[in-house]
Amino acid sequence: MFGNSKKFGQEQIVFAITVAMFILFSLFLDNFLAADNIFALLRSVAVLGILGLGMLIVVLGRGIDLSLVANMAISVAWTLQLVGTGTPLGWAIAIGLGFALVMSLVSGLLIAYAEIPPLFATLAMGTFVYGFGRAHLITGTDVVYLPAEFGWASHIGQGRLYGVPVPVILAIAFAAVVYLFLKYTKPGQQIYAVGDNMAAARITGIPVRPILVLQYAIGGIVAFAAGLITATAVQSMNTRIVNSNMIYDVILIVVLGGVSLSGGRGNVRNVIVGTLLIGVLVNGMTIMDIQYTLQNVIKSLILLAAIVADSFINPRDEQTGQQGDI
Amino acid sequence: MSTLVELKSVTKSFHGVNAVKSVDFDLRAGEIHSLLGENGAGKSTLTKIIAGVYEPNEGEVLFKGKKINFSNPHEALENGIAMVFQETSLVPSLTVAQNLYLGRESFVNRLRGIYIAAQQFLQSLNFDVDPTMLVSQLGAAQKQMVEIARAVHHKAEIIIFDEPTATLTPEEKHHFFALVRRLKKDGVSIIFISHALEEALDISDRITILRDGQHVVTDDANTFDRDKIVAAMVGRNLTDEIYGSASRNRKARPMGRRILSCQNLSMGSMVRNTSLSIFSGQITGIFGLIGSGRTETFKIISGVVKRDFFHGGEARLEGKPVRYRVPRPAVKDGIVYVTEDRKLEGFFETKSIAENIYSGLLGADLNKSLTVSYKEMIDLADVWSKRLNVKAIDSNAKVIELSGGNQQKVVVAKALVQKPKLIIFDEPTRGVDVGAIAEIHKVINELADSGMAVVVISSYLPEILNLSDRILVYRLGRAVEEFSMEEASEEKIMYAAVH
Repeated sequence: MFGNSKKFGQEQIVFAITVAMFILFSLFLDNFLAADNIFALLRSVAVLGILGLGMLIVVLGRGIDLSLVANMAISVAWTLQLVGTGTPLGWAIAIGLGFALVMSLVSGLLIAYAEIPPLFATLAMGTFVYGFGRAHLITGTDVVYLPAEFGWASHIGQGRLYGVPVPVILAIAFAAVVYLFLKYTKPGQQIYAVGDNMAAARITGIPVRPILVLQYAIGGIVAFAAGLITATAVQSMNTRIVNSNMIYDVILIVVLGGVSLSGGRGNVRNVIVGTLLIGVLVNGMTIMDIQYTLQNVIKSLILLAAIVADSFINPRDEQTGQQGDI
Repeated sequence: MSTLVELKSVTKSFHGVNAVKSVDFDLRAGEIHSLLGENGAGKSTLTKIIAGVYEPNEGEVLFKGKKINFSNPHEALENGIAMVFQETSLVPSLTVAQNLYLGRESFVNRLRGIYIAAQQFLQSLNFDVDPTMLVSQLGAAQKQMVEIARAVHHKAEIIIFDEPTATLTPEEKHHFFALVRRLKKDGVSIIFISHALEEALDISDRITILRDGQHVVTDDANTFDRDKIVAAMVGRNLTDEIYGSASRNRKARPMGRRILSCQNLSMGSMVRNTSLSIFSGQITGIFGLIGSGRTETFKIISGVVKRDFFHGGEARLEGKPVRYRVPRPAVKDGIVYVTEDRKLEGFFETKSIAENIYSGLLGADLNKSLTVSYKEMIDLADVWSKRLNVKAIDSNAKVIELSGGNQQKVVVAKALVQKPKLIIFDEPTRGVDVGAIAEIHKVINELADSGMAVVVISSYLPEILNLSDRILVYRLGRAVEEFSMEEASEEKIMYAAVH
């Protein structure tokens, strides 16, 4: 019950836009509605969606994690390299996951105990992870290829199950797990409480600082998992992805779906809606052969439109916001 | 006297609930008109309609005989209607003087110039506030003074004060009322909302009473007395029930076990070497003026204060030394603090009543279960909403939409689901209407009867006298005197608190 509760909010607007675009593209673009294209569409946003779920957990607690993509790229690239140089697969995965976890724990500790604003802490940690990783962990070029020794694990990002691409199934599974975690576990509900009112959560006896650390730790784990899926899907991990605007796309799908950056408001549904919109939009524009730069312009305009529409439909009444008394 | 503002059968509803319902109201030029009623009676809504914060759904507002429809407070202000809000609407990161001149700075704004002008202006009001201070550094009372000064400074014809005296000390109140009388002499019309009935009786020319969003009565102030007002406000006679003589004849509860004892507790200059004990099965009233360190003492005990400010001394819970650095272990050990500032650190504003009450369980770890039970949440909300008589459409209503009294009940319920041994109520009825006060007091009494150790911190003497079995008086950072219920009187307590 802790969760989104607006009757007609940004989530519904964005969902309506998504459906409208889906119908338009289906009518006017020849290949859009083909099953293959729909699966391609979903697969193209699966990893983004998974990262969005990690970001959701952090944002709900009134934080933000800008190190998500750096963490993903370096930890997985290191895992690939370790396997390539003879480390057993299980150990390599454990080391990569451990690295991602430790880095995100450091972010969490800086934010919760040193009380550094999340924006700065994770920006610095992201830069550190990338710099340290490139300098000391990843030898050779920017791109680490999937070694043959990867064995069964190389199927994570490939293939289909009952005709559905595995990354899509994994994304749905992640969404289900995060949904259950947020709604039905005490830590999940405590995250909402911390994001809504940190002082009240503290007085109520909720372990505010451990909960903050937990959020970033989950973010790190999710980043590693998303990275593994990416690497096995494209047979490599390109560490230059850190310098792309992927992290902004992650924030975009979270915010677009209606998750409040001021914490406490939002749920898995919001992220799914945001992810689908970006998926439909990018896929349609790609079929229409619209340039990448113009695609970015359109994406940003849609984000702005959704936010403006939300503020018209749900005007923030500052006086009622400040005063409970009517 | 001519009529300045007239409201004709005005209705305003939020989410389908009428906050005010076909209310007539008029304000004459140069009068002080008090607006009284329980929380949720519609006082704030009514005045906000006049001040242009809300547009009415039905009815019309006449200003100097002309129909008006201000679309925002700024427009109302331009026309000479200023409202001083209950909770501060100042910009914390600017200085006092900058706040006074906010929105009316000249293009090139000389700070020195406005500091001098502001200094003179504040002095003319007898307000002891330094115009160069940042608003964020001011106490609640000083913020209120700046807020009032700003309205006066705008040379408004009509000033609406929404509970202006709630945070002021007696001395400051005295200055405030002198100022209000002076404004009246200068021809300013004043609408005055207050829970302090004596103040309203004392200062008003006329009084209007609202109940449940409807107009009950408007008449000259000298035709009212306290009982008549309360009867009109609640529709029943409550004075005896709350602060009446009946409750003074009750028997003090005996001291139970010693739950808490403190030795030489200190914190900066706020708490100085205070020592005290709290016993189960009775209510210990803590009285002290603002700044006497009473709240801080109990924030140390319950771990609410940040550890950097804790300077020593010892607290024992049932004989075991405890030193809490965060509230969590205190809550687990059964010490629960109910805050005086429910909006800032009491409730979760985007959450429903049920979720807020259930959040108490999220903090207390009464069971080892890692999962959330929505059935338990709904059951808890039902039980506690009934026990505390929380008035809302349903338990899915957001806490932020409730009146002050109902919000407080939710915060109390959230604390009680944690099954405390020692519960500390800090100003349990601040900003709470008369009807809800009685209900909250009833619950506090029941808790003591059931054997819990109860502490009530209050700056309202009748509340202390009515509830307490034992009274500790704070002065300059320590508990200086103790009274039993039988020996306590308003005079004795006040004497101990101020000398």
